[in-house]
Amino acid sequence: MTKDKGMKAPGDLLYTVDHEWIRISDEKYGICGITDHAQHSLGDIVFVEFVANIVHTTVAQREPVVIVESPKAASDVYSPMKGVVTTVNRDVEDAPELINKDPYGEGWLFKLEITDMKGIDNLLKPAEYLKLIKEGN
Amino acid sequence: MKKTPLYNTHIESGGRMVEFAGFSMPVQYTSILDEHAAVRNSVGLFDVSHMGEFTVKGESAALYLSKLVPTSMSKLTPGMGMYTLFCSENGGVVDDLFIFMVGENNYYLVVNASTVEKDFEWMKKNIIDGVLIENISDITAKIDVQGPRSLMVMSKLFGKDKIEKLARFRFYFDDFTGSQIMISNSGYTSERGYELFIENSKAESLWEILMLEGAEFGIKAAGLGARDTLRLEACYSLYGHEINDSINPFEAGLGWLINSDAEYIGKTALSDIIKKGPAFEQFCLELSGKGVLHEGYKVFYKGNEAGMLTSGVYSPTFRKGLALIRAKRGVLSIGDTVEVMIRDKGVEGKIVNKPFYKYNG
Repeated sequence: MTKDKGMKAPGDLLYTVDHEWIRISDEKYGICGITDHAQHSLGDIVFVEFVANIVHTTVAQREPVVIVESPKAASDVYSPMKGVVTTVNRDVEDAPELINKDPYGEGWLFKLEITDMKGIDNLLKPAEYLKLIKEGN
Repeated sequence: MKKTPLYNTHIESGGRMVEFAGFSMPVQYTSILDEHAAVRNSVGLFDVSHMGEFTVKGESAALYLSKLVPTSMSKLTPGMGMYTLFCSENGGVVDDLFIFMVGENNYYLVVNASTVEKDFEWMKKNIIDGVLIENISDITAKIDVQGPRSLMVMSKLFGKDKIEKLARFRFYFDDFTGSQIMISNSGYTSERGYELFIENSKAESLWEILMLEGAEFGIKAAGLGARDTLRLEACYSLYGHEINDSINPFEAGLGWLINSDAEYIGKTALSDIIKKGPAFEQFCLELSGKGVLHEGYKVFYKGNEAGMLTSGVYSPTFRKGLALIRAKRGVLSIGDTVEVMIRDKGVEGKIVNKPFYKYNG
């Protein structure tokens, strides 16, 4: 395994065991993406495909929203919370490398209107997530 | 899992190690795209010590090899190498390989890592008097220096005169810190490049000096990921994908290798295939829509299944999906628009001329 030294996990986000992140605001809205660790593990991301007609669709927690692919691996990205997908980031479809360059910023993937806040108990705090990747998933 | 003599170097360089043919090998160091670009634009360094090397010596060496390969060896002279195949009686491909002619009674074979044992057993089974074969894979390291600037790096290390006059598919023996090194102008990337063979104990120091002296030319360590995207752009076969025991050379676009007049293994079957025509043929496919292509994806033409991908990649050079396909003969033509099924979704592609990337030496 490669070393995970230097992998970032910003303090204002929550994380999933599947390596997604979510920034929750007003206990209602979320913006989501994949973590620094996830982009590093995948390698150069060259293709991003959102599930067809996903915008305005209700997704369950851990339901796939988008597939990201590198030359060697494809990975489903799941919704960290139950909610309605309000927007997807069309910029990453044309420039998938944004996810590698800025996974917590320009490389965000989709926005949610959260419909069930209970699922928050399944998410990890930054320190817990860093511990998870340090231990090798 | 087996390790090459450069295993520690890969770990120290941040290589992402994966299992390949029983070896722990670096699939990439920093980025497949960057490593691929380094080979296309400057120079890349590959550890391919997992590959197999055999020596074939003795008064009947040439006769023995002419029994094993379907390609005429008449043009081979000392200091020259050639690409060829081992075929079985039914015409299937046992392996693809390089034969380097060292001298009249002395040949050096380079085979795939995944088939070393199978090939050596095959050679033993078909041995004749007057030949000695040896499997030197476990004591031999192989480092490939590939890319337009490989000429500069190699000239700096081994002398401009020797390297510049070494034509493609020619090789010679030189000295590296007191050990014999075999240097061949050849490779698996479609760029000018060199394949270096040396004893295991010298692999680390050779790698280090190549990285050090190559720094001014932008040299980069490259992994198996880039090796695969580079060879696919060049339309080179990879054993176990384009060819295997049940695919004959004609079906994989390798009919040009079948030209020997000698009585070689598989001759009857291959002659029969020439008469009847092969059941399948190979085409190059370029994806028009977006997506990453992988082996096994099905190709449809006018609504009917026409073939299957034997290898697929996202091409770093062309920024699109490229693939080699195995199609039923007579269905497809260059220029046809087809559909590739990617996760139950048809994505448009085009049948194009071979290769995607021409030799740039």
